[in-house]
Amino acid sequence: MKNDVEDRRPRILGVRFGVNPNSSSLGVDTTYLLFGGTAVVAAALFLSAWLRGRKAEPIGKASE
Amino acid sequence: MKVRAEWFGGIASLEFPRALVSINRAMMRRLGVAQSERWTGEDPGHLSAPTEVHLVVSRRCGAGCKSCYVDATAQGPALSESQAKRALDALADHGVFHVALGGGEAMDLDYLFELARYARSLGILPNLTTAGLTLTAAQARQCTLFGQINVSVDGVGDAYRQARGFDGFARAQRALELLRAVKKEVGINCVVSRSSFDHLGDVVAFAKRLRLNEVELLRFKPAGRGAATFAEEDLTPQQGRAFYPKARWLTLRHRMRIKLDCSFAPMVFWHRPPLWVARFFGVVGCQGGNLLASVMPDGQLTGCSFGGPAEASIFDRQATQRALDHGFGAFRDYAQKAPEPCRSCTYLSLCNGGCRVVAQARGDWWQPDPGCPKVQEHQGASFRPAAA
Repeated sequence: MKNDVEDRRPRILGVRFGVNPNSSSLGVDTTYLLFGGTAVVAAALFLSAWLRGRKAEPIGKASE
Repeated sequence: MKVRAEWFGGIASLEFPRALVSINRAMMRRLGVAQSERWTGEDPGHLSAPTEVHLVVSRRCGAGCKSCYVDATAQGPALSESQAKRALDALADHGVFHVALGGGEAMDLDYLFELARYARSLGILPNLTTAGLTLTAAQARQCTLFGQINVSVDGVGDAYRQARGFDGFARAQRALELLRAVKKEVGINCVVSRSSFDHLGDVVAFAKRLRLNEVELLRFKPAGRGAATFAEEDLTPQQGRAFYPKARWLTLRHRMRIKLDCSFAPMVFWHRPPLWVARFFGVVGCQGGNLLASVMPDGQLTGCSFGGPAEASIFDRQATQRALDHGFGAFRDYAQKAPEPCRSCTYLSLCNGGCRVVAQARGDWWQPDPGCPKVQEHQGASFRPAAA
């Protein structure tokens, strides 16, 4: 994690797709585990491209 | 696009595709966040606030499900509208992205849709779990306010009655049809117990037939009225081992998104999925007081809806901040205190020892989850579920 933090290249560290309507379903999405590393690479590339050029709106008191 | 700074960089919330994306500091800078006070000092080891909170708006529900985990009754306590809005104000201050509204039967509250609108106005995405037993077409049309809505369906046809203690399947099906007619993000919550395990395929096939977008499988928990039947309904060791392969098979067989709740993590990690893949996609076990927290009908902030100590009143700004900064030790401290076989487990940092509430029901909050196949192997072949 320390290397990731200090990395000068913009990076996707992880993603959680979907939203949770339950008290406890923060857990396992079997869909993405099925496709293993291929899914990681595809998701990281897609999200990097998706985020490119977008403007952030900080939320939470200490985000600004 | 909303972002919240964290020590490692930040979390970005996407509306399409719906996702929370963890990004490093360089990516945060690219998105226009040049600096944050959270980027100084040592890694605190936890997030600044949960990404999502389960807002238990009431313990009020007339359905009388025999295993209701909040022990809801027709006269149960509920947050008032103003209290619920103040709770949302506090959560918004801390940058919470999503709330899961539940109970009790949230749909019975006359202020539910106003509360959802208010959450939206604060930038929080409201999601909902309902039994759907009394849902009307007019209510369904208003449900476009929510993100994901899941209807509780623990079995198809008579299996529903066996699981819940009354025949509500037809009403739940009608609720799903009404909701699906107005929005796509509609799914099923299904509690997995010893007796329902063999019928999970029927539930997934039913969800596919109604063109729902997900099935969430939830482990039977020893909380509320469920505590009384946990010993009979907890998965057998054989079912625990077979569960993840079964979920994968159902995903492929029905081409349906299947999500497993946090308490199933030990049953997944026993099959040794690639650690880095699991980490990237946020496959985690107990995240009480970190990714997830709950606000109960009395306003108390807890790490988990099913158990653990109250950390603060959500209405007390300073106490809530102290809890988020330094509290939730009953959940956050497990990895440091973990005994074997958790201590040497490759997946400890993700799994966090499985479900604390199950561990507590089996005698000790700090023991590894007795439902974990690895724990059962460690304890020897003679392991059998003990009485709750």
